[in-house]
Amino acid sequence: MLAKFRKKVSKGSRFNQIYVPKSMENLVEVGDEVEVTLIRKHAELHLSKGLKLPHFKKGLIRDIFSFLDGIADASFIFVVGSFLTEKINYNDIDVVLITSSPDGKFEESVYNKIIERFNLKFHILALEEKRFRHLLEICPLTRAMLSNYVCNKPIAVADRRSIETKHIKFLLMMPYDLLEIKINSRAFYDSLRRLITIERFLRNKSLDMPEINEELEILVNAPLHDKIKRNEEIEDNSIKFLRKLIRAKLELIEGLIKDGKK
Amino acid sequence: MGKNKDMQELTNLMTKALRHKIGSIVNKNEFYAAKYAKDAENIMKEAEKVLLRQNWNGYDKSHIKGQLRNKLKKELEQKDFLDDKKFDIMDDEIGKALKKFGLDTPTTL
Repeated sequence: MLAKFRKKVSKGSRFNQIYVPKSMENLVEVGDEVEVTLIRKHAELHLSKGLKLPHFKKGLIRDIFSFLDGIADASFIFVVGSFLTEKINYNDIDVVLITSSPDGKFEESVYNKIIERFNLKFHILALEEKRFRHLLEICPLTRAMLSNYVCNKPIAVADRRSIETKHIKFLLMMPYDLLEIKINSRAFYDSLRRLITIERFLRNKSLDMPEINEELEILVNAPLHDKIKRNEEIEDNSIKFLRKLIRAKLELIEGLIKDGKK
Repeated sequence: MGKNKDMQELTNLMTKALRHKIGSIVNKNEFYAAKYAKDAENIMKEAEKVLLRQNWNGYDKSHIKGQLRNKLKKELEQKDFLDDKKFDIMDDEIGKALKKFGLDTPTTL
């Protein structure tokens, strides 16, 4: 006779244990041989300091971690971005996988499997652990992204910062281009937010995303702020105004980089 | 707007778009390389709008190619934070972009 039951592993005084349900004590008896199969990995959530999430989001993230644990070889899995900080105005769920040697196909494969399983919009980023730790030290955008996170393992994000000019210059390419070319208005929003993040990084200030967004709202008042956030058409005088802001921020950042190198 | 002015605008936009694309290829270990590839697409969309303003003849196409190559080479030389592999893939990327816009010139035998 085949006896089957599902139970959660619990913590015993010496070993982790599984109890045979009372209703099956005559079917699975002392001395019988059983085989235990892991069906679903229990996922733990480790939230960054101060982050609070509703029950629904916690449950979804737990399911995501549990699913990814079965399909992707990752030392750490993070959920980051607006899904954590916005009540409803998030675009997608940003997942960061820290792995030993990721490639383009790894991200694509994980992406295809996760959207198939959850039918939600995801953005998957995979990064090698050593590179990730280096970026945390030198990259304002990576640090800002990790200002709010949920991780599947306990992790401490060190607050060491160092200025790598080449990396900052790489990040400044688009803001510089916007002084000369006109593309969609969202590019202005993204660039200004990027410049605020870089400036705060160089000034050793907090990189908490809601604080960065608030600073941008003060810098660019409504309704222009909302227009560029929603990628709506804007007038030439607004572009002129935004370029003025970008130029001022760029000059400030170039000055801070020089000061940092002294 | 005159053809020459449009040509200048077109090559300016294509230069910036290709610089972003090349940046995303040679600095692929950057976390934001994928974002740069997307930036390149956004700028290319604007370039396409300028492209459609005129009918470009063979003479124009050859001028666009020359202008684009000179501008992009200069831009890449200035951007010392991009890996030197940028010059190895420059001509390939120019070729692909021109072909996509129907601006490629027939090879003379």
